Amino acid sequence: MTPDQATTVKPSTVPGAVTTFQVSSPDLEAVVRDLAGLRLADMFASDGEQPTLRLVWANDTAGQAGYIITETPLENAEYPALSDITPAAFIEECEIYEQFGIRPATGKPLNRVMLPPHADLPTLGRKPQTEPEEPHAPHLVGGQAFEFPFGPVRQAGVESLYYGLVTSGEEVVDLYLFTWHKHRGLEWRLMGRTPEQALFLAERAEGLSAVAVGWALAAAAETATGTRPPDQAQRARAVALELERLYNHAAAMAALCQSTGLSVGQSAAEIALERLLRLNARAFGHRYLFGVVSTGGASRAPDADAIREDLPGAYGEFRRAADALLATNSFVDRLEATGILTAGQARDLGLVGPVARATGLTVDARQVPGGPYEDETCVAPATGTAGDVLARFTVMLAEAAESVRMVGQFLDAGAGAGTAELPRTGGCGLGWAESPRGEALAWVGLGDDGRITRARLRPASARNWRGFDDACRSQNVFTDIPIIEASFWLTAAGMAR
Amino acid sequence: MLWFFRGIRRGVVTTHYPARPDESSRFLPTPPAFRPWALTRSTAGRLEGACPSGALRLQDEDGERGGGRLVFDVGRCTACGRCAAEAPHAVTASGAFELAATSRSVLIKIIPLRGEAR
Repeated sequence: MTPDQATTVKPSTVPGAVTTFQVSSPDLEAVVRDLAGLRLADMFASDGEQPTLRLVWANDTAGQAGYIITETPLENAEYPALSDITPAAFIEECEIYEQFGIRPATGKPLNRVMLPPHADLPTLGRKPQTEPEEPHAPHLVGGQAFEFPFGPVRQAGVESLYYGLVTSGEEVVDLYLFTWHKHRGLEWRLMGRTPEQALFLAERAEGLSAVAVGWALAAAAETATGTRPPDQAQRARAVALELERLYNHAAAMAALCQSTGLSVGQSAAEIALERLLRLNARAFGHRYLFGVVSTGGASRAPDADAIREDLPGAYGEFRRAADALLATNSFVDRLEATGILTAGQARDLGLVGPVARATGLTVDARQVPGGPYEDETCVAPATGTAGDVLARFTVMLAEAAESVRMVGQFLDAGAGAGTAELPRTGGCGLGWAESPRGEALAWVGLGDDGRITRARLRPASARNWRGFDDACRSQNVFTDIPIIEASFWLTAAGMAR
Repeated sequence: MLWFFRGIRRGVVTTHYPARPDESSRFLPTPPAFRPWALTRSTAGRLEGACPSGALRLQDEDGERGGGRLVFDVGRCTACGRCAAEAPHAVTASGAFELAATSRSVLIKIIPLRGEAR
């Protein structure tokens, strides 16, 4: 069975961008095999009279970009092992088991990824009958290697995160991530709230992607209610999103310098970062751009004069630091051939953002039609080919230049505040935005009173951490890990939401 | 070596705090300041409903919810500005973006409502 043969249950308000199909449980495996050429962007379940499994597939082909959602009401607490067909599904299979007690029918082992053990935190659905497994390797692996626990408190990391490093002494043989330490139950907290209330938490899901995750959630609620934000407000969101990308890429550059021991370079990048944050405050009233996006539009207008006045200088500082770094052999040598991911790995794992683009994949949510990017500018995703840290860094630099260009275009076209009121009505919808670390997705289901019955937040970090262990394993040593982590520039909070 | 001279050329960029008033601070979001003469019980109820982080609560003297006192917990405030947007006649931005206290209780303030003894 192909999607064309399936039944469209809810056409999107954006023609061509999102199509939703109902797929019966017995047909699910065949449909997933048919769609496996697309990128599995997300997978989540919802509870109700009957548990429902939703898969979000992304078509990243330029000119045809869009999403396909398959909805499958499950007849029992099992479904086909989708990660055997598309490996990108594994983390979500683990998460769905923890939150709903639903699991792949093969009985394959599932790891703990979301809920801390012994904490008895509320789940989104029925609790699993047996506890998920810990992703531990034996402490002695084959008599040659051993597991080295690292974290969750780390000297240099900005967030707590726990690695299980399997090593034979210096080389990284394997690496496991323990991502549940900071679980905050955000999706559980969103249930019963209005989209306006939910936006406050969505912006704080990972903080450094406040605009992107907020925009994704707001867009999902707008689609669910059939609301169209004013054009100038969409452009205000886009200006904020590009400023968010600029300061994040400056922060990633500073982190790369820190991880390579280049303290003067780090200071130079942090000066650029501070100027960009001050520009954010001057342009939108908040250094991290919280409160710009509102459901139905944008609650703050950018100060266009301030941006035109300050952005060239701040970006010039950014570019000077970047050029100096690229002319420093001791820096470039540490980045080159470090943390390599291939396009095949990125495709199989459904990776997004600069991590995926550095392997040559043109994954970019800004290419999906229906937003300000389609109206005002042409997004040409910067890509690399080597898939290493240096490729990620150069992709970020190219994106920063593009962001400056696009901010100017959005301001010229007119960006302002404005909000269309969301009707209190039921429905469901998908929203997306391209955060600095990749595609952020959100899906909301609204009850008839307009309150959220199920909200799914999928920041880019939730997608890309699964590529981190593969990147670390590729012929790297201990001291490469902070460099690889800086080049991914993810948040632990985005995973432990 | 090149980076050493680059650092020297930039000079010392750290200073005593504060070296001078920070120009950028005037653009920052700050916690609210209240105009008690414009703050009625009904306005205070709306502010409580608008506050997403629970920094504004109506309580009675025993701390029970729904009382006649507006309690402002600065420690919970994220300076999101929703209260000022909800009742601009009664709430403004304080402009105070620096905050320090030696105990948690100092951060909890009782805001008098209109018509109450101060």
